[in-house]
Amino acid sequence: MSSKQNSAELKSARGSALLKKFQGAFSERPAEPIEVEPSMLRRWTRRDLLIFGAGALGTLAVGGSQLPRELFERLGLDPVKVGSDDKWLLNKALQLDDDVATALYSQHHLVPTYSKSQITPLKNNYNGATPDPAYIPEWRLTLDGLSAGLTVSLDIGTLLSHHQIHDQITRLVCVEGWSAIAWWSGLRFDELLHAYPPVSQAKWAHIESSVNLDADGNPDPYFVSIDLLTAQHPQTLLATHLNGKPLTVEHGAPLRLLVPVKLGLKNIKAITRIIYNKVEPPDYWAERGYSRYDGI
Amino acid sequence: MSSSRKIQSELMARGARAPRTRALVVCRHQLLVRISHWLTTPLLLGLILSGISIYWASPVYQHNPDQQSGTFDYFAEAGIWICAHIPWLHHYASPADWVYNHISLGPFMLAFALRFHWLCAYLLMLNGLLYLAGLILGGGWRSLLPRLSDARGVPQMARYYLGLPYAMLARRRQTHPVYRTKYNPLQRLAYFTVAVAGFLAVATGWAIHKPAQLSWLAASFGGFDKARVWHFWLMCFFVVFVIPHVVLVIADGWDTLRSMITGWSTRFVRSEVTDHEL
Repeated sequence: MSSKQNSAELKSARGSALLKKFQGAFSERPAEPIEVEPSMLRRWTRRDLLIFGAGALGTLAVGGSQLPRELFERLGLDPVKVGSDDKWLLNKALQLDDDVATALYSQHHLVPTYSKSQITPLKNNYNGATPDPAYIPEWRLTLDGLSAGLTVSLDIGTLLSHHQIHDQITRLVCVEGWSAIAWWSGLRFDELLHAYPPVSQAKWAHIESSVNLDADGNPDPYFVSIDLLTAQHPQTLLATHLNGKPLTVEHGAPLRLLVPVKLGLKNIKAITRIIYNKVEPPDYWAERGYSRYDGI
Repeated sequence: MSSSRKIQSELMARGARAPRTRALVVCRHQLLVRISHWLTTPLLLGLILSGISIYWASPVYQHNPDQQSGTFDYFAEAGIWICAHIPWLHHYASPADWVYNHISLGPFMLAFALRFHWLCAYLLMLNGLLYLAGLILGGGWRSLLPRLSDARGVPQMARYYLGLPYAMLARRRQTHPVYRTKYNPLQRLAYFTVAVAGFLAVATGWAIHKPAQLSWLAASFGGFDKARVWHFWLMCFFVVFVIPHVVLVIADGWDTLRSMITGWSTRFVRSEVTDHEL
């Protein structure tokens, strides 16, 4: 009896010792005072302040060299004197970010889909003026860079009758920061790739819209680069319908790209031509300082 | 340890007439902690300025366009109000841009602001790792951990600071509560929270940067749109943190500022005693 009691006491004592040890691991340790010559302290301080100042100046110089000229002009400083317009560091950061986005991309990861009650309004975000719908009756899609070596020209009826139409309610995310949930229907880009195979070793699709206009209504062809891995994603559609109705001119009638794994600016409206390529084609917004990959 | 303790007790025994040729110091901040602290300053500034430039492209807080001015953004309206009410700003060229011209890199520079934001963001993440390494190597993480006694200590310190302006006006002495730990409870709460907020800012940043591939992360903040709101308010938290942080460091004096540059502090007696309360 008494030996049992002893062992219980021993256990609780060991338990509280363990608890103390555990608590001790998290509790603050006393700082260890070190004895130094006062002159040593001054010397260290002087040395560290010099290093600190050099670091601050270096940061200012590197940071300043990456800032845009307009900023210096607004601050009333002379940009020529302040520094060059060399954006190597910013371009490196953008390249790194694109590499990270490429690494994050998975063909098997599906983006979230939503229910019809979650649909939100989608604005017409044409960069310039909305094109005159007169192009729609004569619209054709031209395919180039095919393994057959031919140029194929398709009308919307052929596209709709030869391919299965898929529905999906996904989020369109704009580079500006807004987003919209919309119900899209269309054929899978992957099915078009199977029906009209690109040249072997093609890695890119250059997708164009010749009907795009600038803000003054002058022709301003729009073009995006899409890597074929993204084009093969099961949720990458060549959309023909929005909210169950054929696309209107505001949303890129009769055929637009719907690529929910990319920013909205890659979701090109009123596609007129697709060219497959081995090398990376140019991109409208990449030429204007944005990312070229735009994976989200 | 024992030798320095011995020296200290000898010094204490000799009282005020301690030998002047010797100085006792403690290492208050580990080298990596100090480096990452100062790197945070330009990085956070760059992130906030470019972040507000990005915010301009699609303000989180907006309303239906105003009939007269056509503005839909509260920041634009704040600018219009400022220019209308401050005499020397009556002729400001673009009142709607006033706020963005003064607390961001500027309007109409989304492409640049995004690149600048990515640059600072990647550097900030590396810097965060540096900070964590410094906390672990120097053991400083223990001083940051909140403890039960803080439930009493934080209001105590808050009361002290809130009462300080009145005490100064009334020329009454107000005694600073004494704590034996490296930080007082309010400091501890602030430094712990700002580190957590830094982590959350990075997490919400990734959630709105990659809402498709990291959809689980966006969902954990209530979806893409809510993650943007989180990201915005975390930025505001950093601003709210920085103002008293700088004011109090200046008020506290050179030793505190020096300890973040050189690491050394001569004020060690208070931090020298172990605090076993958890």
